[in-house]
Amino acid sequence: MSEPVLPALPDEAYAGAGNGKVPQLNYFNRPLLRKLHWDERVITYLFLGGAMGGSGVLAALAQRSGNEPLTRTSRYLSLALAVACPAVLVSHLGRPERFHHMLRIAKLKSPMSMGAWALVGFGALAALNAGGQLSRDGVLPAWIRRLEAPFGVRLQGMLGAFTTGYTGVLLSATAVPLWARGKYHIPAASVCSAIASACALNSLALTRDRNGGEAQIKLERLEACASVLELGLLLHFRSHAGATGKPMFEGARGERLRTWTIGAGILAPLALNAISLLTRNHKKRPFVLRALLGGALTLAGGYIFRETLIEAGKASCEDPEQAFYQSK
Amino acid sequence: MSTGFFTDTTLCIGCKACEVACKQWNELPSDGFAFTGMSYDNTVHLSGTTWRHVAFVENVQMDPQGLSDHWSMMSDVCKHCTHAGCLEACPTGAIIRNEFDNVYIQPDVCNGCGYCVPSCPFGVVDMIGQVASNAAYNVATLNQERRERDETAVQGRGGVAGKCTLCYDRQRDGFIPACAKACPTESIQFGDVDELKARAHERAQTLKERGLDASLYGVGWDSSVGDLNAFFLLTDRPERYNLPPEPVLPSTRQPAGYGAAAAAALVMFACGLAIFGRSPS
Repeated sequence: MSEPVLPALPDEAYAGAGNGKVPQLNYFNRPLLRKLHWDERVITYLFLGGAMGGSGVLAALAQRSGNEPLTRTSRYLSLALAVACPAVLVSHLGRPERFHHMLRIAKLKSPMSMGAWALVGFGALAALNAGGQLSRDGVLPAWIRRLEAPFGVRLQGMLGAFTTGYTGVLLSATAVPLWARGKYHIPAASVCSAIASACALNSLALTRDRNGGEAQIKLERLEACASVLELGLLLHFRSHAGATGKPMFEGARGERLRTWTIGAGILAPLALNAISLLTRNHKKRPFVLRALLGGALTLAGGYIFRETLIEAGKASCEDPEQAFYQSK
Repeated sequence: MSTGFFTDTTLCIGCKACEVACKQWNELPSDGFAFTGMSYDNTVHLSGTTWRHVAFVENVQMDPQGLSDHWSMMSDVCKHCTHAGCLEACPTGAIIRNEFDNVYIQPDVCNGCGYCVPSCPFGVVDMIGQVASNAAYNVATLNQERRERDETAVQGRGGVAGKCTLCYDRQRDGFIPACAKACPTESIQFGDVDELKARAHERAQTLKERGLDASLYGVGWDSSVGDLNAFFLLTDRPERYNLPPEPVLPSTRQPAGYGAAAAAALVMFACGLAIFGRSPS
């Protein structure tokens, strides 16, 4: 067991000595909070769950606008991700019945409980709606279509929106100083990142669709809106968090966040979009290479954003001072 | 009846009998044999397998004779909050408030998600059997009969959250918790919380009259976690004992979080509707 070396007591600690004052220190610089054991599987879930919820939102938008290619893609992706997400969670919990333990109770006060129910509800609706789509695409028999609920897609969109945001609430409703500090920023940025990832994923899936050009252009625009908002939130969080934000915005982790999430995930796709606008090419279908590159970069940035959040949260637990005075 | 602990740190002699008694009764595995080199405290922190921890606070003070120092010892334990962050966070309902008004983790229901760990503002709850440092934990050493009756807090399977049960099993059989039983100076007192509070106020008053800067931690304070069922009498700032001076119940941040998420989602929907538009048909 390697223990950190105890730093020497700073001079200020003795400043009050002699006046009957006790040095104002913590307990040997030991962390107040316990470190969580969330690993890359939880990070993957946060990322995939966001893309899943965002695809649900896109399914609702596509339905309303009557965009056939995006309707198809978003429904299929919603279902695929709704299968993948519980699988990732089960692999983290260890045994399948442990996921079921979350469904023995519904707790309004626990974002994780609400999230588990949203995930299950979303999965059921995604299955029905994707089933209807499969039936229209001629894969499944016609009667499957009748299982589609009248408001199924809208409800899927709303549950999807909840799924994009609840993970941020889940993080900020803890004692971890960094996450607590981001009680507004982290949930809002989670929504934006999820929408951007979903747009990128759906756009990537549409590159093979002959009629997907219009949807791709619109997805790029929505992604740009989400990315700009996310960027604003991240920059504001950085100044708002101050010293609490150190684990997230400074050192190697901050460098990673700047390079991947902000540089590659937000600015580079925005620049690619801007090029097409400047060359007056924006009414046409994006070049396949540009679509692939932009999509991949956005997805990578989204993953690194979640990874930074979790890892920086763990690091934030190690600072006792931040944990002591977070109510201020 | 609400039961709890009153831990009077002025009586603690740092013998760690509470740590040992707790480990023995609850069949908690060893945390390894390691010296921290920082003080007589080699336990360092409460964990999933350490439910009592004696902190050794070193007080360095300059008096007319020169530099002098003395130790303040405190036996730390789960606070069994009135409004418990872990209990609110638990998605399975494994963490309950039992008939003694104690916060108790049902190990057979716990699914090891770990959300209670960052949700405790005191840093008490931790995982058992899932972190690397607990890899050597041998479940075969647990008492088979007690394990089958679900009475050991640590179950024969890895990856659950663990913390002080306030010796739920002992209380049900009319015994006092192992740590309070083992404490040779009655620094750890167990009983009805109201009775303990009255006793604690009286004790703090006596100490103040003797010129000691004694204060109660976790009683009648303005904190969103409410009064603590396991509270302390301290003679120093709480931070010195690694206790948060103003603990905040994490769920109080949920309205802000949900509000911000909803606002962002509305903006996204608005952008989406504007970009995608409505179908002409």
